[in-house]
Amino acid sequence: MTAPARPLGAPPARPGLQVVAVRRARRTKPRIGWWVLLAFTVVVAFFALIYSRITLDRSAFVLDEITRKTAIEESRYWELRLEAARLQAPERIVDLAGEMGMVYPEAVRTLTVPGVSTVGTGTEDRWIDLKAILTAQP
Amino acid sequence: MTTRLPGREGRRRSLANARLVAVGVALVMAWVGVGYRVTLVQGVQGEDYAARGLGQRLQRETLAADRGTIFDRDGRELAVTVDGTTVYANPEEIEDPETVGRLLAPLVGRDSAEVIDLLNEDGAFVYVARQMERAEADRVREAELPGIYFLKEPRRVYPMGSLTSQLIGFVRSDDNRGLEGLEFQYDEQLAGTPGELLVERDPFGRPIPQGEYRVVPAEPGSDLVLTVKTEIEYAAASALDAALERTGARSGSVIVLDPRNGEILAMVNLPTFDPEDRAVAVPRVVRNRAVTDVFEPGSTQKLVTIAAALEAGVVEPSTTFDIPEQIELDDTIFGDVTVHPDQLTVTGIVAHSSNLGTILVGDLLGIRRMHQYMFAFGQGRPTGVDFPGEAAGVLRAPEEWCLTTCLASTSIGYRVAVTPLQMAMVYAAIANDGVWVQPHLVREIVDGRGVVEPFDPLERRVVSQDTARQMRLMLEAVVDRGTGALAAVPGYQVGGKTGTTQKYLPETGEYSEEDVVASFIGIAPIDDPQIVVVVVLDSPETDASGGKGAAPVFAEVTLAALHQLGVPPDAP
Repeated sequence: MTAPARPLGAPPARPGLQVVAVRRARRTKPRIGWWVLLAFTVVVAFFALIYSRITLDRSAFVLDEITRKTAIEESRYWELRLEAARLQAPERIVDLAGEMGMVYPEAVRTLTVPGVSTVGTGTEDRWIDLKAILTAQP
Repeated sequence: MTTRLPGREGRRRSLANARLVAVGVALVMAWVGVGYRVTLVQGVQGEDYAARGLGQRLQRETLAADRGTIFDRDGRELAVTVDGTTVYANPEEIEDPETVGRLLAPLVGRDSAEVIDLLNEDGAFVYVARQMERAEADRVREAELPGIYFLKEPRRVYPMGSLTSQLIGFVRSDDNRGLEGLEFQYDEQLAGTPGELLVERDPFGRPIPQGEYRVVPAEPGSDLVLTVKTEIEYAAASALDAALERTGARSGSVIVLDPRNGEILAMVNLPTFDPEDRAVAVPRVVRNRAVTDVFEPGSTQKLVTIAAALEAGVVEPSTTFDIPEQIELDDTIFGDVTVHPDQLTVTGIVAHSSNLGTILVGDLLGIRRMHQYMFAFGQGRPTGVDFPGEAAGVLRAPEEWCLTTCLASTSIGYRVAVTPLQMAMVYAAIANDGVWVQPHLVREIVDGRGVVEPFDPLERRVVSQDTARQMRLMLEAVVDRGTGALAAVPGYQVGGKTGTTQKYLPETGEYSEEDVVASFIGIAPIDDPQIVVVVVLDSPETDASGGKGAAPVFAEVTLAALHQLGVPPDAP
């Protein structure tokens, strides 16, 4: 088989080649933005982690301080209860009352309230009876 | 193609190369060394070192459990635990012990020489003063003395001082464990369970945040609510104190109790002690005589003899006896101290406290029945009161009784030994219509979670309701027209019995001619009994009888107690 004739001066035809319309290649942008975002996130996360650790540590100190103050207040509470108990001691009250002229009478006289019949039925019952009489009074 | 440098330059170059190689080798070796060490420390021995480091930072602390509070029946504190400050010294850090000791001694209330000796001791820790109050400790702190440090330690305090000291007792100062009284009896409940704290600390002792922190909380001890009413306790102590002064008695005891439920409202013994001053806390004043000491009850025992005879049906209150001038049994002559008619009813025997009449009644009863009722009333065995060291008293078995004088003696309160509490319970059974109720000092135990455990007393019937009522009428007659006139309480009908016993001297084995035990035991109000009061005076010099020495104390204590309990008057 003989090759087809070609024009003079034309480059020899290459087998399998064909003309293809070349599209203008899209310009690829460097994807640096994602990297920046990633780096930013990492940095932020790093600082957030540090901040949370510091906050946690600070909270621990605050808690420690609160615990200490609670212990002090608790201790003070018991001291005040002790003081209150000492102030309520009958011996002290009797002494103070005596200084103010409050002493037991030499003789005890029992008054009978008219209308209250039975005795020895208990304070509450007696008080109810007495109250009824007092209320009835003008 | 290589070019050989001229000789001098070449040698210099090769020397530099050699140095570089040497440095390189040295660096490599150093890094190898570092690497080896790192591998060793971090790898091979890593766990060991980590554990040692943790051991240095980790502190295991015992969390002391709060000892429970003791309250009276109205919720007033009788024993409280507060924070005390302990002062200690590190002698190794004190360069001039004499100066520090002289400055420190007055601040801690100790002798200078004593403190200087402490500061000269070998070692790095000596206690200087323990469990000081905060204000006192602050004064030591302000002095800023070298080598002096502070520790927080719980301190047991008794706000009512000597008023309740024998009852409450006290704790050991170094570990707050109960040693005496209710502190000892209920130590297990009061003490609680210690906890544990595991914490990582820095060299300054501060907790390391986010370090190891494990806590097993301490379980606080239970609180005790007593049956005692402080105002009645005070009234009893005041009246007894005045009586000791008036009569010159060596010691005395007063018990006030509610016969309906066995609750002890007051229990006082004098002399007593200040719980803050342990130096004076010798056994003679520490012990609760009302529970631990016995005496022969004398005429107060006649209630048992007569009640037993009534219950056994051998006599009636109106049964009349011819009372002889004296009774002679095996060389022992029994007589009456009081003046009375030749004939007495059983009620009259009690009212006039006739020994001879009671002996005759006892003779009708016999040894076995007498013993049976005495035991039923609780004599010769502990009452089971919740207090340590209770004495059982002495009541011999019937077969050990002699056939001559034993029954007669026992009928009038000799040859039997009882505690004041046992006698109180005899009268309480009569006051409670014949039912004996176990006496107790703790009303309820409240644990750390607020769960209340009330005391559940034992009960037993001793005599019938009729016998108890008949006995109360006889006791009323004793105060109205008998030997107990000074026991009368204005505004209230009361009943009781006097007792005057010659004191038995164990050293000589005979009864004392001079020393007596004077007692009075009464019930008030007699128609609706709310309280039983026992007064015992040991060896009074003046008013040396139950009627003169003890009865007035009964009257004073009973009046105060009935007022405090809000019992309305029942007599004009």
